[in-house]
Amino acid sequence: MFNGKSSRKLNSVGPVQGIGLFFLLVVGVIYLVPLFWLANSSFLPESEIFQFPPKILTSPREAFQLYTLDSYRTAFGEHWNAGWALGVSVVVTVGGILLTLVLCSLCAYAFAYLEFPGKGVIFIAILATMMLPMGTMIAPYLGTIRMLHLKDNLLGLIIPYAGSAFGVFLLRQFYIKIPVALIESARIDGAGHLKIWWNVIVPLSKPALAALSIVQFRAIWNDFLNPMIILRSENLFTATVRIQVMDSTNFSKPYDAIIATGFVTALVPIIFFLVFQKQFIEGLAGGIKE
Amino acid sequence: MALLVSQSEAPNQAAGAVNPKWTWRRIKEVLAAYAMIAPFMAILLTFSVYVLYFGFRMSLRDAQGLSDGSFVGLQNYKDLLWADEYRARDFWLAVKTTFTFMAGCLLTQMPVAFVLAYILNHIPLVRLRAVLRAAFFLPVVINTVIIALLFRMLFNPDQGVINSFLGLLGLPSNIDWMMNSSYVMPLMLIAAFWQWTGYHMVYFLSQLQTIDPSLYEAAKLDGASPRRVLWRITLPHMRPAITFAMVTSAIGGLQVFDLVFLLFPNAAYGPGGVAKTLVAFVYDQGFSQQFLTGMASAAGWLTFGLILIISLIQFKVLGLGKHGEA
Repeated sequence: MFNGKSSRKLNSVGPVQGIGLFFLLVVGVIYLVPLFWLANSSFLPESEIFQFPPKILTSPREAFQLYTLDSYRTAFGEHWNAGWALGVSVVVTVGGILLTLVLCSLCAYAFAYLEFPGKGVIFIAILATMMLPMGTMIAPYLGTIRMLHLKDNLLGLIIPYAGSAFGVFLLRQFYIKIPVALIESARIDGAGHLKIWWNVIVPLSKPALAALSIVQFRAIWNDFLNPMIILRSENLFTATVRIQVMDSTNFSKPYDAIIATGFVTALVPIIFFLVFQKQFIEGLAGGIKE
Repeated sequence: MALLVSQSEAPNQAAGAVNPKWTWRRIKEVLAAYAMIAPFMAILLTFSVYVLYFGFRMSLRDAQGLSDGSFVGLQNYKDLLWADEYRARDFWLAVKTTFTFMAGCLLTQMPVAFVLAYILNHIPLVRLRAVLRAAFFLPVVINTVIIALLFRMLFNPDQGVINSFLGLLGLPSNIDWMMNSSYVMPLMLIAAFWQWTGYHMVYFLSQLQTIDPSLYEAAKLDGASPRRVLWRITLPHMRPAITFAMVTSAIGGLQVFDLVFLLFPNAAYGPGGVAKTLVAFVYDQGFSQQFLTGMASAAGWLTFGLILIISLIQFKVLGLGKHGEA
């Protein structure tokens, strides 16, 4: 809304706005300190991690001379194998996103363009599931996964992600804005619904699919409770579970490996966020202009 | 929000869906529709409706580990609420911890997020605004596992940066954030504050930007003071957004698990388990030494009901329904 005024230069910022801006900058810098500490510590030798004040503040030159990749060697070495865990996370995340996109957009297509008995009730029921605090149901959830013989199986982790009620809602809201004439003309040409979905709707709905992918990317990549209870074999552990395993060492926790792996698992979504900022914020916090 | 928007639309569509003639073409359309929603519905039904049913069934049995156990009626519920002294004490402590955490999250995050969004919205430098917005949003995209461990390291009583910094300022530098029970909740709230305030701020900012600028201009012409504009124009417009943020934040806060599981070393939930939230309590029943899955299911159902009631009350008291959208 202030876009009209936004072309103004710094000298047009009033004194009150100046104080506000200064306040925001200070808070913003403090806000970034923990991340900065994590990044900096991941390059320090283990003995320097907990030194105060951090050398980067007192003597940046000395800090840079100290920088080493030792923590990363420990984390990605044979013992902790963070690289493998990150690979599993990639497989699970990509698989989860693709399955979500296919199933949710097929479902949203039916709710946007087709008429069938029970449509209104079913749609409300789908939305209502978003309100359910399913995090409380971990015991029967795992029981169900076990019953389906999906325990300790990546599919048992991936498949439930696709049941995203939010995904159906988001895509259906997008689809109902697509002109019906496009669907009807394809119908007249004799195309079936599956074909129309794939050839007409999917290409047109790329922005909505991107927004949903981002929401799912953040949720799946960062998930911890589900992989922790479903996966048993070490070679199936995702990155978040791997970090927890590192942390459950009782004596002298390998903070160097934890920090290095933690920084990499945080860096992946941070990079995606900085590149796809608009989609991230649209998907997660609702439509933002500007 | 989603629920309420569609409630007004869906019945109309259902009414429009009544097609008196069951022609071959129509039957084909209905079959196609069911086929298209079937895979999604199968997953959704399995992992919501069936899981809830399965959980209820287990909650009435003394199920343990892989064994289904035998029917015990409401014994698990009784044990949790009063009959088993130790378990009941733990359960009610978890209820207290969880609600304190939720209330603390709302009271700390919402006002600060609103003030930050308000100031940010009045800064006419678009580029800088985008940079600040991104800075505050960064913690939202990171996993809670590393956030919890990061805060444990920063707040480490002996070697942590925070205590060293407090010492530098001449403040007490020997605060035991991990083992002193009066500092456990503040630590949880600080970590949650860092993780989520930016999220609410960005949401509030997006909603502030939907207010019609002509309203502000009219108020300016009438000579209204900035404070009056805030109370009479900005806040009334933001009410649905604030309500929505509070309800979703409460539902999330009541289900917190990752943060407390990892914030304290060896999943001990702080001294005497004071940081053990309800979901952590459920997890402990079902997945630690005894694997009491029946008990965990009963605790899960109690928690499920509690959270659902709280969110419905919030909707009613805060009046989201009246506004129709958030």
